[in-house]
Amino acid sequence: MVLSFCGCAEHRGPAPGGDGRVELIYWPAPNPQEIQLADSVVQEWNRLHPQIHVTMQPIPVSQSTEEVLQAAIAGNTTPDICSNIWPGALREYTRAGGLVALDRFPDFDSVVAARTPADLMAGFRSDDGHYYQVPWKTNPVMMFYNIRMLREAGISAVPRTYAAYLAAGRKVSRDTNGDGQIDVWMGERDIRPLWWQRLFDFYAFYIAASGGKTLFRNGAVAFDNGTAEEVFAFFRECYQEKLFPRTFFQGGDPFTLEMKATHFSGPWEVAQIRKFAPQMSYGVAPLPVPDSAMNPVYTYGDYKNISIFSNTAHPREAWEFVKFLVTAEHDLLLLEITDQIPVRGDLLTNPLFAGYFRRNPTMVEFARQAPFTRNIDAVPDLKEIFDAISQSYEASAVYGKLSPVEAVHDAASRTRAILEWNQ
Amino acid sequence: MNRRASGIQPKRRGDRSAFWLVAPYVLFFCTFVAYPLAFSLLLVFHRWNIVTPMEWIGLKNFTRLIGDPLFFTSLFNTLVFLGIHIPLQIVVALGFSLLLNSRIRGRGFFRALYFLPVVVSGVAVTILWQQLYSYDYGVLNSLLRLVGLPPVPWLIDSGVAMPSIAIMATWKNVGIYIVLFLVGLQNIPHELYEAASIDGAKPYRQFLHITFPMLNPTIIVIVVLSTIGGFSLFIEPYVLTGGGPMQSTLSGMLYIYNQAFYFGHMGYAATLGFVYALVILTIVLVQRKVIEREPVT
Repeated sequence: MVLSFCGCAEHRGPAPGGDGRVELIYWPAPNPQEIQLADSVVQEWNRLHPQIHVTMQPIPVSQSTEEVLQAAIAGNTTPDICSNIWPGALREYTRAGGLVALDRFPDFDSVVAARTPADLMAGFRSDDGHYYQVPWKTNPVMMFYNIRMLREAGISAVPRTYAAYLAAGRKVSRDTNGDGQIDVWMGERDIRPLWWQRLFDFYAFYIAASGGKTLFRNGAVAFDNGTAEEVFAFFRECYQEKLFPRTFFQGGDPFTLEMKATHFSGPWEVAQIRKFAPQMSYGVAPLPVPDSAMNPVYTYGDYKNISIFSNTAHPREAWEFVKFLVTAEHDLLLLEITDQIPVRGDLLTNPLFAGYFRRNPTMVEFARQAPFTRNIDAVPDLKEIFDAISQSYEASAVYGKLSPVEAVHDAASRTRAILEWNQ
Repeated sequence: MNRRASGIQPKRRGDRSAFWLVAPYVLFFCTFVAYPLAFSLLLVFHRWNIVTPMEWIGLKNFTRLIGDPLFFTSLFNTLVFLGIHIPLQIVVALGFSLLLNSRIRGRGFFRALYFLPVVVSGVAVTILWQQLYSYDYGVLNSLLRLVGLPPVPWLIDSGVAMPSIAIMATWKNVGIYIVLFLVGLQNIPHELYEAASIDGAKPYRQFLHITFPMLNPTIIVIVVLSTIGGFSLFIEPYVLTGGGPMQSTLSGMLYIYNQAFYFGHMGYAATLGFVYALVILTIVLVQRKVIEREPVT
């Protein structure tokens, strides 16, 4: 296929091979669903574009995609395209000159405008004013609840506020077999001080409680406030009242094992439930918020985006493939295979997706929540900052050694020190 | 003096073969020891996250280290671990080696059995102990409940977590020290015990005045190896606790790993590494000074 929009960029690197065929390497996330999706899309692409051959290689398995990509940038072994870019790590990649500015392509604006609302898109612009990512999918963090467990505890309404959640928790968490040990819990979080775990509890709950605010304002700490204290106090209450266990589970998801009544997670959990607990009746609701919080309830979007790496020899062809990945048809495939939400504004209005949502009513909740999500702040050293928050959270919420006020102040002070040190 | 005149001829062919014989080791040493060491030293004065270019920052990594409470926490935790692990290791290993050195049935089988954990993957062992230590669903707490005792917060209490890890590490490594003690025991001349028996020395006196002093070199080796091994404590807290609760199991190595590979502070991690190397060297020298005595001859 001849690419007709020449003039958008120089063609760097070696020319296509002797047979004129361009070779691209594409890294999707290494989970089975996304590998299956990538495989389908790549096969279709290769059938339609015999002169631009794409090879799909799942991201090498590691602790995190970010570690792999960092090493790949350092070793100059990046793929041409990757679709598992966490916006929190993008700053490091762009500082290293590792990514192609996508707005250099003349049709970038029209492609993203047709798919993603402008106000949402603005949140993905980098400090230098360029776009290095196409927002691809979002996994709004919401509350899954086990209908049977809540009903058995005499709870008819899904808890929407901290007070309602705690009240429900006091009924749900109990010893059911009389061995003196609580075996059914209202909820559970991994208590280990792992930085990324805080994205799915403290950060998501902070966004919800604050009406959609994030942790930083103009690069400065903005969470040293009563909202963060309320969130810490809420989790502290959950642990102190034994609504959450002070342990971590190995060898199974306690929600699908029906050992806990609620679970804070993204839509990927739907596939887990389908696989491990197909008989379980469950629902999805926005995260609980303080009694005084206003609607709508926002949450963390856990976005994963698509970028092109700057060592590609074929940026224009890579961009063509990126456009192919984000067509409405492939967004439907993304929904069907992975149960993750494409970052597009017409999910609930485009008839193309209607059949999927009819068959998967739970996913409608996630699609409704998607416009009310927030990204991660574009500040440096997010992992270290979340590690500091994680340690304060652990001290206050899990073990009750610090008051919420002290813990939030401590986390904010350490965050300021991290920002100062790394400037 | 002229070599030719003196009649001494350089063995050129022999020299070259010697060079080829040592070349693999020199190559290995340069690639895996000298170069990483030199590069780490360079990193100490830089800020570098692998991806972006290195930035010279002089002694800032050292000033950060001095004001970093987590460095001191990790150092303290490691010393706590050593304080529990080393005596426990010596007592357990010595006890088992004395048993295995006596004439008991199935001695070979037990020797192999105690050595088994040493050759099992550290991660596998840690996951196994995670199941044992789980507060709500662990085997140990289930047994305690069965006999009417309260459960122990093995990994979720900041005062208990590090001792729990030390017990696990002792279980994992004790086999190797049993072997070392067995070698030490078998090297003690039997005549010494015979002479002591003739003199009327009871078994505990024989142990105190013959066995223990004669094992002194072995104990030094074990203490030094345990100290160095203890400072390398990583897999156990990484898998079991992530450094919690309340940073009580944040070991030096885990902190270095976090700084290097989680936060991308290669320069600071290298600085921590050098400071830890100095700490290990100091502790080992002090240990040698305190423990080393002339063996009984």
